[in-house]
Amino acid sequence: MSTAIETHELSKRYRRVSALTECTVTVPEGRVSALVGPNGAGKTTLLRILAGLASPTGGTAAVLGGAPRQDPAFLAEIGFLAQEIPLYRRFTAEDHIRIGAHMNPRWDASLVRTRLAELRIPLGQRVGTLSGGQRAQVALALTLAKRPRVLLLDEPVAALDPLARRKFLATLTAGVADAGGELTVVLSSHLVTDLERVCDHIILLAGSRVQLSGDIDTLLAEHKVLVGPRKDTAPIERTHKVVQEVATARQSTLLVRLGGPVIDPAYQAEDVTLEELVLAYMGADEASAGKRLTTVGESS
Amino acid sequence: MSAMSWVVWRQYRAQAAIAGALLAAFAVLMLVTGVQVASQWHAALIACSANHTCGNLADSLFLGSHAIGFLVIMTLGVPAVLGMLLGAPLLAYEFESGTSQYAWTQSVTRRLWLVAKSGWLLLAAAAVGGVVSGLVTWWSGPDNALQGDAFKPGRFDIMGIVPVGYAVFAVALGITAGALLRRTLPAIGITLAGFIVVRMVIYGWLRAHFAAPVTTYFSLAQGFTAAGSSWQLAAGYAGANGQPISLPQSVNGPVIGGSAAVPGLPVSSLPAQCQAAAGNGPLTPATYHAVLSCAQAHGIRGYLTYQPASRYWAFQGIETGIFVLLAAALLAVTFTVISRRDG
Amino acid sequence: MTWLVWRQYRGQAAIASVLLAAAAAVILADGFQIASRWHSILVACAGNTACLQQQAPLVNGVVSDLPYISLLVPAVVGMLWGAPLVAHELEARTSDFAWSQSITRMRWLTVKVGWLLLAAAACGGAIAALTTWWSGPINAMSASAFAPGQFDTQGIVPIGYAVFAMALGITAGTVARRTLPAIAVVLGGFIGLRLVISDFLRQHYMAAVTTYYSVGGSFTAPGQSWVLAQGAVGPAGVVVATGWGDLYPALPASCQTLLPTAGTGKSGSLSAVFSCMRAHGWRGFATYQPSSRYWPFQGIETGIYVLLAAALIGVTFVIVRGRDA
Repeated sequence: MSTAIETHELSKRYRRVSALTECTVTVPEGRVSALVGPNGAGKTTLLRILAGLASPTGGTAAVLGGAPRQDPAFLAEIGFLAQEIPLYRRFTAEDHIRIGAHMNPRWDASLVRTRLAELRIPLGQRVGTLSGGQRAQVALALTLAKRPRVLLLDEPVAALDPLARRKFLATLTAGVADAGGELTVVLSSHLVTDLERVCDHIILLAGSRVQLSGDIDTLLAEHKVLVGPRKDTAPIERTHKVVQEVATARQSTLLVRLGGPVIDPAYQAEDVTLEELVLAYMGADEASAGKRLTTVGESS
Repeated sequence: MSAMSWVVWRQYRAQAAIAGALLAAFAVLMLVTGVQVASQWHAALIACSANHTCGNLADSLFLGSHAIGFLVIMTLGVPAVLGMLLGAPLLAYEFESGTSQYAWTQSVTRRLWLVAKSGWLLLAAAAVGGVVSGLVTWWSGPDNALQGDAFKPGRFDIMGIVPVGYAVFAVALGITAGALLRRTLPAIGITLAGFIVVRMVIYGWLRAHFAAPVTTYFSLAQGFTAAGSSWQLAAGYAGANGQPISLPQSVNGPVIGGSAAVPGLPVSSLPAQCQAAAGNGPLTPATYHAVLSCAQAHGIRGYLTYQPASRYWAFQGIETGIFVLLAAALLAVTFTVISRRDG
Repeated sequence: MTWLVWRQYRGQAAIASVLLAAAAAVILADGFQIASRWHSILVACAGNTACLQQQAPLVNGVVSDLPYISLLVPAVVGMLWGAPLVAHELEARTSDFAWSQSITRMRWLTVKVGWLLLAAAACGGAIAALTTWWSGPINAMSASAFAPGQFDTQGIVPIGYAVFAMALGITAGTVARRTLPAIAVVLGGFIGLRLVISDFLRQHYMAAVTTYYSVGGSFTAPGQSWVLAQGAVGPAGVVVATGWGDLYPALPASCQTLLPTAGTGKSGSLSAVFSCMRAHGWRGFATYQPSSRYWPFQGIETGIYVLLAAALIGVTFVIVRGRDA
């Protein structure tokens, strides 16, 4: 299995602010990767660098084996959908189809027309007068019509209502299925429940750094929630890595990354959900990485 | 209202700073060169009165430099620039970028918002127009005295108070264009085109008729020059019946009369009797006199139609008033459109 | 890509064509009328220079100002089409869409800039052709084609101005990333540069010719030449190029007393003054650019503006290529 996307110590600095700091991720081909993180974490920056719209200030990025570059053959392989759904507001969907036909070597116009017909979106209406959900669908269809091998989507469902979101993700899943394993998707969002249904890989950015990345199934198997009496966690930490501790006066709940089997009988081990995992790691962006103590119900 | 004024200031302070710097540079340039021009003028006056050649001064003296003179003429464009850069984007930019949705859902009514924004911008435009006009008027003092052409189109438009009226009108036109078109670039284009057309219509056709022009008849032997800086509209010759003598498209052969203001009267346009007195070939002092007397005997006189210099400020006031009224009408349209239309 | 440019600009192209056609109609109508008047003057005067000077001016009234409005056309072109070219796409973020298609930024920019510069040149050329034709009789009658003002509206320089203004707008928009500031830069930069070049640089494209002649005689530079200075020069090199007011103090006292003074009953004659001046070594001079240099100057000035445009476009390409979108 080859790698679709690979970054090594990737950094992006704007004057005084660091948008990305030493990010190293690998996305194998065929994955649908969820890029999650709080606002300002660097998700948009990472996607724009991978699409060739921005250039890194440190480290390297590789998409399909090569650095993102101004080369028509390379550009034909990637599809990018920006957060603002940047379409020409005065053009119709049909106009955009013609633009795409002129500006891409591989162009599947019938795909766009079929999809939009299924969604009952008119082709002859100015895109600026469509609803947000309809515009997002048009933009996604246009991006898929390029038949890219890597698809980069920046918060495409952020402005959509739940029904429109569901439709959008269904269209995306259909597109991935059609491509038969040759399409790699990186999809940024902060709605984890949506992503669980669609994605099999995750990259978690917080505070401009990669906090977690890998196949979702593997990561879920590697983490457990340990519930037990409140006591010193040092023994646990010798074997495992405590990501997050939530303690009441008597009980503490630990989210750990397993380093081996759990021996201590005082703890009861439970499976972790993706949402719990994401929330725990999103809070773990302090310099002293590792454990964060959150105390519930106690006045300090 | 003062909170809204702060918002306006915050939005425009960078532009205000740039405009202020440009205005200051222009003022320095005008003041420095204006002092030079004034001293050049005084020196020339002293020299010419010493040897009594002052009558020819208008033809032989050129005040200032070509470059500065051109810059002064170019202040004709200042109102148009204000309209394009200040007026047109006011509403159009807010529509295009969607910030109108933000602005009009604050606790300020649309009307108040528009009053604050347009009020301050119109005031700023009037101020800029006034400052530029003040500088140009002062700078042109010697040149106006020398050439006596302050009332002529081209000079009239850049001095006095009319530039203030133009500036206010141009900004109002820009605001209205932005309100109706909702897009900045077309609004800028329409503002420029509309401003040029309205100005041309008024200075080309309307201005001459603000008040009925004065027509003075004069004897062929004497000639006539309207006093001071008058605005000459037409000049020619009339027969005994008062009808103007039509001059041919091209003139060849001897002429009588003629001065800086009035072209000469071709002998070929005179009654046959006077033409006979001219004989053949160029006119000698004797035949000239004969033709002249003959023409006078036939009741032929010269005439000059003009607006007298005394009406200069009245015309300035009328034209400024017209443009201010047009501005008010345009703003009324804008207010109606803004209140009624979707945001 | 060309199709995209056409689709984006077809509405504006239509409007511009209509305006151009309207301007052409007005200029043509006025020009025919001027030409017929000039023709009748030529017939009547049959080459007599004194007769030519007697004629009333060929142009007056509002319509005759229109070709001078053509001086604005390059600035308008730069403001309304150059400034938004890149800036508007960046503001509306449609650059994200365009630059995610399988077309490199360089190609995108080349096609857009290429077509717009071509359109600017065509616009400038059309206006130049109309104005040059319209000015024909005026040039013939007053020999003023080389003078500032006339020079700028005829020949090929309007093409250079239009191409430069368009390039200035494109570059300003690319640097500023916003349309409105770019428009302001075009206005200020274009007008400023035109003033500097036409008022200070142009006369030095080639070293001017100075001719000396007898004081009191007259000298008219032949053809459509551009007189830079004319007057009298004294034996010590004192140059007086303006009127009597400046000349009088420079003359030796013996010549000053010969000047006629009105109102004092003292008679004199200018010819006596001139003889005195000649005796003291004064000569008349005229410094001018001869009419044979008209087309070389047109070429040099157009070349300057086209070179500046190329430099600006080069900057634009460098920025678009290297900068983050």
